[in-house]
Amino acid sequence: MAPDIIKIGKDWFTSRGWKVFPFQQEAWKAYLNGQHGLVNAPTGSGKTYSLMVPCLLEFIRDHPNFASQKNNGLQVIWITPIRALSKEIELSGKRVIEGLGLPWKVGVRSGDTSVKERAKQKEKPPELLITTPESLHLLLAQKGYPEFFKNLRAIIADEWHELMGSKRGVQVELALSRLKTISPHLKVWGISATIGNMDQALEALLGNYYHEKNYTIVRSALEKKVEVVSLLPETLEKLPWAGHLGIQLLQKVIDIVKSSTTTLIFTNTRSFAEIWYHRMLDKAPELSGLIAMHHGSISQEIRNWVEEQLHEGKLKAVVCTSSLDLGVDFRPVETVIQVGGPKGVARFLQRAGRSGHQPGATSRIYFVPTHSLELMEAAAIREAITRKIVEDRLPYIRSFDVLIQYLVTLAVSDGFYPDQIYAEIKNTFCYQSVSEDEWHWLLNFITTGGDSLQAYDEYRKVIILQGLYKVDNRMIAMRHRLSVGTIVGDSSLFVRFVSGKYLGTIEEYFISRLNPGDVFWFAGRNLELVRIKEMEAQVRKSNKKSGAVPSWQGGRMPLSSQMSEMIRVKLDEVVRGVEKDEELIFLRPLFQLQKERSHLPAKDEFLIEYFKSSEGYHVLMYPFEGRFVHEGIAALMAYRIAQIQPITFSIAMNDYGFELLSDQPIPIEEAVETNVLGTDDLLKDIQASINSTEMARRKFRDIAAISGLVFKGYPGKPVKDRHLQSSSQLFFNVFHDYEAHNLLLQQAFEEVMDFQLEEARLRRALERIAHQKIIITRPVMPTPFAFPIMVDRMREKLTSEKLEDRIKRMALQFDAD
Amino acid sequence: MEMEILGERLRLYPQKAVFWPGKEILFIADLHVGKINHFRRSGIPLPVKANDRNIELLMDLIQATHPKRVICLGDLFHSHYNPEWEVFGEVVKHFSHISFELVMGNHDIMSEIQYSRKGILLHDELRIDPFIFTHHPMEEVEEGAYNLAGHIHPGVSLRGKGRQSLTLPCFYFGSCAGLLPAFGMFTGLARIHPKKDDNVFIILEDKIMKVNPS
Repeated sequence: MAPDIIKIGKDWFTSRGWKVFPFQQEAWKAYLNGQHGLVNAPTGSGKTYSLMVPCLLEFIRDHPNFASQKNNGLQVIWITPIRALSKEIELSGKRVIEGLGLPWKVGVRSGDTSVKERAKQKEKPPELLITTPESLHLLLAQKGYPEFFKNLRAIIADEWHELMGSKRGVQVELALSRLKTISPHLKVWGISATIGNMDQALEALLGNYYHEKNYTIVRSALEKKVEVVSLLPETLEKLPWAGHLGIQLLQKVIDIVKSSTTTLIFTNTRSFAEIWYHRMLDKAPELSGLIAMHHGSISQEIRNWVEEQLHEGKLKAVVCTSSLDLGVDFRPVETVIQVGGPKGVARFLQRAGRSGHQPGATSRIYFVPTHSLELMEAAAIREAITRKIVEDRLPYIRSFDVLIQYLVTLAVSDGFYPDQIYAEIKNTFCYQSVSEDEWHWLLNFITTGGDSLQAYDEYRKVIILQGLYKVDNRMIAMRHRLSVGTIVGDSSLFVRFVSGKYLGTIEEYFISRLNPGDVFWFAGRNLELVRIKEMEAQVRKSNKKSGAVPSWQGGRMPLSSQMSEMIRVKLDEVVRGVEKDEELIFLRPLFQLQKERSHLPAKDEFLIEYFKSSEGYHVLMYPFEGRFVHEGIAALMAYRIAQIQPITFSIAMNDYGFELLSDQPIPIEEAVETNVLGTDDLLKDIQASINSTEMARRKFRDIAAISGLVFKGYPGKPVKDRHLQSSSQLFFNVFHDYEAHNLLLQQAFEEVMDFQLEEARLRRALERIAHQKIIITRPVMPTPFAFPIMVDRMREKLTSEKLEDRIKRMALQFDAD
Repeated sequence: MEMEILGERLRLYPQKAVFWPGKEILFIADLHVGKINHFRRSGIPLPVKANDRNIELLMDLIQATHPKRVICLGDLFHSHYNPEWEVFGEVVKHFSHISFELVMGNHDIMSEIQYSRKGILLHDELRIDPFIFTHHPMEEVEEGAYNLAGHIHPGVSLRGKGRQSLTLPCFYFGSCAGLLPAFGMFTGLARIHPKKDDNVFIILEDKIMKVNPS
C-alpha cells in the first residue's frame, strides 16, 4: 500500500517538473509509517513539502473517497514562529492540496486574523491550519476546544530550532501535552536548521513520545558553500578602537549595494539599523525610495510591506536585524552584508544563506567591522565554518511563568482538573522535574494568590468548582486573552501618528527623555513627539534634521561558546606568528601596540591589566568567553574582591573581557593570591554575586509579563484600569521582601544561572584559567584590548560598602544646562 | 533633620513624612492604601503582608511626633473601595483625638461618604500661612507663599567617581515649592532634576542626608 501512496506524491512532483529529494522521500515514508520526527533542512530546500505532502497522502490512504469528502475537521496544524511565513506556507499548502485533488480548506490563524474569520474557523475548521504558538494557546482558551481539535492527525513545528530557544517553544510543548490527550493519533514533527544539539531538540519537541523511540531524524544532505569577505578600510588607523556602528565603511557598502540587484544589510541592533538607513540616505540620496528598513519594533503592517517589496524585487537594499533571519526565501536577494560581529556561527550561516539561490552556488557575505578588534570575529567564523562547528540551542526548563499563563488559559476555556494536567505537563521536557510541592504552589498562586488565605481576602482569579479549576469572571478572562503571548517589555510604548496610524514600539526610558517638539528618528522617519498619552507616544512627521535615535535594550547578542573558542584559536595564531587570515594580518600593528603597552596573551596565559585614570582605578581581565559569561565572572570577581575590603565596583564587559572600575584602589595582587579566580565555593559565590547585582531583576521583566503580573495592554487596546499599572521592578521588590520562596522569583535566578551565566560554561572557563599563567601588567595608557570595554556605558554594579559611606563621596546630579 | 522655610521650621523624617512643630501637624503624601488589595481583586497575586508595613510606619510616626492633625497630600487610597480602608479606619479611630485630613489627589475617587464615615476632613487645597498644600504641584505660587505637594514620588540621582550612580527617594525644596516623597510601599519613583540652589534631602533606609552640588 505505502509505495503506491508515495507514488501519488512523486507523480505530482513529476507533473510540475520537480524531482523528489531523497530527504523528502525519507520524511514521507517515516511519517506514513506513523512515526514522529524532525527534518533537518535549510530554508529554501523544499523542507515544507517534506512534511506537507505526507500529511495529505495519509488522508488519501485512510479515506478511499477522499476526493469528495468535505468538512473533515481540523487535520493538520502547522506552527510557524513568524506570521510572515504563514502566507508562503499557505500558498505551498494550497498548491499541493489542489494538485492532489483534495477538497481541503486552508486557514491562517494569527494576531492579524479578523474576528469574522476566526468565528468562521471555529464553526467550520479548515483541514490545515497555519498558526503561531500564541494563537494556538488562544485556541485552547476557547470554550469547547477539545471538539475543535479531536480529528487532528499531525502537528508540524516549523523553524523549531528558533522556537526552542525561546519561551514560545515552551508554549508549543504545553499545547502538545494537551493535544496528545485530546487527539490520540497525533504525530509530532519539527523542522529545524542545523544546530549542535539536534537530539535534544527532538526530545524537547516530543516530550514523552521521545522515550517511546518511535521517531526519525531526517537530514537533508544539502549544504551551502559560504565565503566570508571582510570590508577593510585603506589603513588600520581609519578603524576606531571602540564603537558599534562601522559607519567608516559606509561608502564601500553603498558601492556594493549599487552593484547588486538586491542587498540585505544585517545589523546587530535595531538602533544601528535605524542609523545605517539614515546615513545611507544622507550619503546617497539617489537611493531614496529604493531602500527600506525592517526590525522587530516596527509595526507588522510596515514590515509586511517591506517583505512584499523585497519579493517583487523592487528594493535595492533592506537594512534589517534578526527580524529577517528567518522566513521565506527572498529570491531577488543577491548580496548579504553583516555589520558588526556575527557572534554566532549558526546565525551567521543563516544570514549568509539569504543569498546564492542556485543549487551549488556559493553564498558570499560581506563583513563590516565596527571596531578594529572585531575583525578577529571574521577570522574566527571562517575557522568555525571550516571545522563545521555550530552552536547548541538550549531549551528552556521549569518556566513557571509560561505554566501559570497556560493554567489560566485552560481555566478560561473549559476549566481543568489538576491531576490530569499535572500528569500531562510531567510528560513535557520543560516541566518533567516539577515536584508536587511546586505544583501545589502554582495552583495556590492562581486560586488564592499566594500561600495563605486571608480573612476578608478578595483575591479573584481561578476558582474551584467541585474540583474543576475555572475562571468565572469575564474581566479576568478578557484580560488574560489579551495578554497571552503579547510579551511586550514592561516599559514599551506604542508609537502612533496623531492621525492614528501605528508605527511600532519604543522603550519608555528613551521617550521619557524627550519633550514634546523634540525630533527623533524611528522606522526610517523623522518624527516629532507631539504628546505622550497613556500607552502611546503620538508623533507627526517632521522636516527638522538630526533627531535622536532610540535604543532598545537587550539588543546585544553575546559571542557563542563555539565562536569564543575560535577567537582564542585565532589570537594564539597571532601570538605564534602563524596567522593567515587577511583580517589578522591587517590587525598586526594593533596587536603590536597591545604588546608594547601591556602584553599579548598566549594560549597558556591569562592577562590582567591594572591602572589608574581620572575616572578611578581599573582592573581589566580577558577571558575571551563572550559577554554573558564575562558578566558572570566579573560579578564573581567583584563579589570576591569586595569580601577583602568594603568597595564599590562599576562593571563593564564585551565579548573579549571585562572591567572592574572603582573610585578606590583595587587590591588586585592580594586578590589573585587569595585565588579569586578559583573554583572553590563557586556555586555559593555565584549565587551571592547574582544577589548583589541586577541580573535577576532584568530577567524578572519578562517573567512578570508572561505570568500576567504586569499587563499594559496591547496596540490599540490600552489597559482600562489605570490603577493596575505597575512595573515588574515593584513586583520583584515586594516578592523579595515578603515572599522569598515565590517560584517566579526563583525562576528569575534560575534563568540567570542557565541562560545568562551558563554556569557550566563559566565553570569551564575558570578551570581553563586555573591552568594558565596569570600576567598582571600596569599599562600607562589604555590598551587596544581595554579601550572598547572602558567606554561602554552599559554597566552593572556591585558593592560591599554602606550606602552612607558611598553617598559621602558622591554628588547630586543636576540638569546638564 | 530640620529645615526652615519662610521662617517656619519643618522636621523631616526618614519614614517619608514632614512634621511642622509650630502647628503640630504631621504631613504625609501618596500612601496608596489598598493598592495591594486592588491588584489582588483583579487577579494579580501580591502578598497581603506587604500592606501592614505602611500602617505600622504611620503609627510609629504618630507616636513619635504627637501631632494634633495628620494631613495627607493626596492619593491616600489607591482606587475604588476595598476592605483595606477599614484597616486604615481603625488607625483613625484609635487616634480619635487627632484630626485626619486629606487634600484630594487623583487617586482619591471613593465617594465622600467613605471619608466622612471615618471622620476624615477633605480639602481640595489647603492654606495654612505661609504654606499652600496641594496634591499636584502648583504651576505658579504667589509671592510670599510656599507650596508643598505630593503626586510626583520624587527621587534624585547621585553620581560619583568610577562611574558610580544611585537613585534614591528624596524630599525636594525649590525656591517657592517643595515635594514630599511617596509614603506608600509598592509605589514607584520619578526622577526629578533639581537646580543649583534647591535643597534636596535623600532618604537612606533610616536616615536623611542633605545632598549638595559639588
